[in-house]
Amino acid sequence: MEFSHDRSDEILVINASGRVDGSNASDFLDTLQGLFEPGDQQIILDLGGLEYISSAGLRVLLMAAQNLDKDNKSFSICSLTDSVSDVFRISGFDQIIKVFPTVDAAKQG
Amino acid sequence: MLQKSLRISYLEGTEKPTDALLIIEKALNDMSKAADWPISLTMRANLILEELVLNTLTYGSVGGLTGIDIELQFQDNKLSVQIIDDGAEFNPLVDAPIPDTNLPLQDRAIGGLGVFLVKTMSQDLAYKRENNRNHLQFNVVSES
Repeated sequence: MEFSHDRSDEILVINASGRVDGSNASDFLDTLQGLFEPGDQQIILDLGGLEYISSAGLRVLLMAAQNLDKDNKSFSICSLTDSVSDVFRISGFDQIIKVFPTVDAAKQG
Repeated sequence: MLQKSLRISYLEGTEKPTDALLIIEKALNDMSKAADWPISLTMRANLILEELVLNTLTYGSVGGLTGIDIELQFQDNKLSVQIIDDGAEFNPLVDAPIPDTNLPLQDRAIGGLGVFLVKTMSQDLAYKRENNRNHLQFNVVSES
């Protein structure tokens, strides 16, 4: 996986691209947790470049969403590819994590 | 008809299943290119195989697992898969917990989600235990 991020006005936008599966999901979790800072009020995960996700990757997103929710932070995901969107829908993740078509739409909340 | 046979050996002490996942990904990419599969078929087939193979490598090893054999056949826009392993008996149709995908965020658990995705994304999933081996057979088609 490849990552980049941008932080401004207490909004953290993380871009994650490539594939997340059972071989690299723990690295994915470590990277996300390493990027979160106490001052971040809104965290947006841009998955526009994510080609593949399995339940190992969903586990990471669930943990991140639950932890940020407990800390009263806003967490959303945007720009899902059709394949990843398919997995989100089947697993019901689109019901528990806010999903937006673009980063700008996610910033508007 | 397009066919491929894969063998994934179980190596005790392997911390990450990277090799197994690369074998699956490469085989599906080769078939996908050769037959011009839609992306959703490649993705669904990859996810189903990953979930089943990782389950077997993780839990099947207690039953003396030595390896997993996978037969892939693609014909008439349908991928037929047969998976045979010599690990512990495991029938994903009845032995895996069924996750409640309607629970709110803080009540959601990840357990069983992999097998749930397998059951939802595959067609005609059938299991039998024969000669101390798990036999799984199913079909995968592109998202309609």
